[in-house]
Amino acid sequence: MKKNILVISFIILSVFGYTQPNCNAYLWKGDTLQYKACKYYFENNRYYQFSREFHKVVDSTLAICPYFAYAYREKSASYVKSGNFIEWKKYMDLAVKYDTISYLPVRASLKYKFFADYKGTIKDIEILESHTNNIGYTSNGTYHLQTVKALCYYKLNEFEKAISTMQKYMKSSYYHPMIYDNLHMGMFYLKINDYNSALKYLLAAKKIYDFAEVEYYLAYTYKALHCKKKYLLSKKNALKLYNNKTYRMYDPYNFMIGQISKNDILKL
Amino acid sequence: MALKKISLIIFILFLFNNKLIAQETRWIDDIVPNEVLDGTSFKLCNNENQVIQYFFGSNGGVEYNGGKSAINSLFFSQFKEVKNIKESGLIRIRFIVNCEGKIGRFRLLSSDLNYQPFTFTNIISDQLLKITKDMNGWLPKKYKNKPADYYQYLIFKIEEGKLIEILP
Repeated sequence: MKKNILVISFIILSVFGYTQPNCNAYLWKGDTLQYKACKYYFENNRYYQFSREFHKVVDSTLAICPYFAYAYREKSASYVKSGNFIEWKKYMDLAVKYDTISYLPVRASLKYKFFADYKGTIKDIEILESHTNNIGYTSNGTYHLQTVKALCYYKLNEFEKAISTMQKYMKSSYYHPMIYDNLHMGMFYLKINDYNSALKYLLAAKKIYDFAEVEYYLAYTYKALHCKKKYLLSKKNALKLYNNKTYRMYDPYNFMIGQISKNDILKL
Repeated sequence: MALKKISLIIFILFLFNNKLIAQETRWIDDIVPNEVLDGTSFKLCNNENQVIQYFFGSNGGVEYNGGKSAINSLFFSQFKEVKNIKESGLIRIRFIVNCEGKIGRFRLLSSDLNYQPFTFTNIISDQLLKITKDMNGWLPKKYKNKPADYYQYLIFKIEEGKLIEILP
């Protein structure tokens, strides 16, 4: 039941993490330029986002309204996926300039994920925090941005800050359990050699939804605690789950923080 | 008269050639083949307009023999920190993996840590390019059940001449 709740939450948040604008909303606000640009874009965009035709439609949209932030975000998307950080940042910054609250979460999400810009992501999240209490989710819905902030601290070797950020978030009124939360908390505690706390979170993760990374970090923890039988069992489980592709961390674009490969399990 | 005809033909060929060069690529960031840069040994299995992106039909992240940890081991063991040149930023090396897992058409893009264009000293970029070119574990990909050529990139985060992280 808990696993189903998490999976459904993930799906819902993935859908709502990135939504397209309602063009009529601009008309209601009296902004006919953005309305026209928005209508033009959605009436003419039937192209793959990497294609020249798509970019021509976006450029024509921006010729109608140069402050239609959504178009800059769309234009930036293919560049981030091709790893072109220069062009991506140029257009993403314009999206943020013209609609800060909507597109700062996107910029924050993509800075750490595609370009390992952990300090830049933390900075963007802190700007968002100055505007709102609940800063929302990544553009793909995988994480709440507080989890992203914690992950950035983790990558910057600031493990205590990672833990305190995640703890504060998990106690907040807007906390919504996501599939990797307990796994990441377990990983954070491992870095400060607090194996008992790590075990608590990893076992909680296993109870909700067991996958290769959970078993791997459990094996790691049991090994550190000299529990040989449990270490060997978790290692075996990790391999079994890994070989079943459905039961491991997955992102189509990159290797996630905490994700493991088969070699990692075999070397443990 | 013959000379005039020849001149006209040459002129028409010149215009036609320039038009070909000026033609836009199919997609943004498509890599146009260049014999001088790329040599002639690397071949696509399919047409130019059939090269897909690495994340099409993806099994997750990079598809390299031994996974991301193998890529990390390769680069972190071979890249020598350049201590006296305190350069920082991102370097992207983008290339094509053909349906046999062979790689070619390497192109570099680099910036400072503020995402502004920046050219790294050759000692840094040449090292990364050489290691990349020597990689032999890229997994061939199938897309819609057919062998595919695909674009792949690696981004290297450099801080003060030291390799810090590799993406994706």
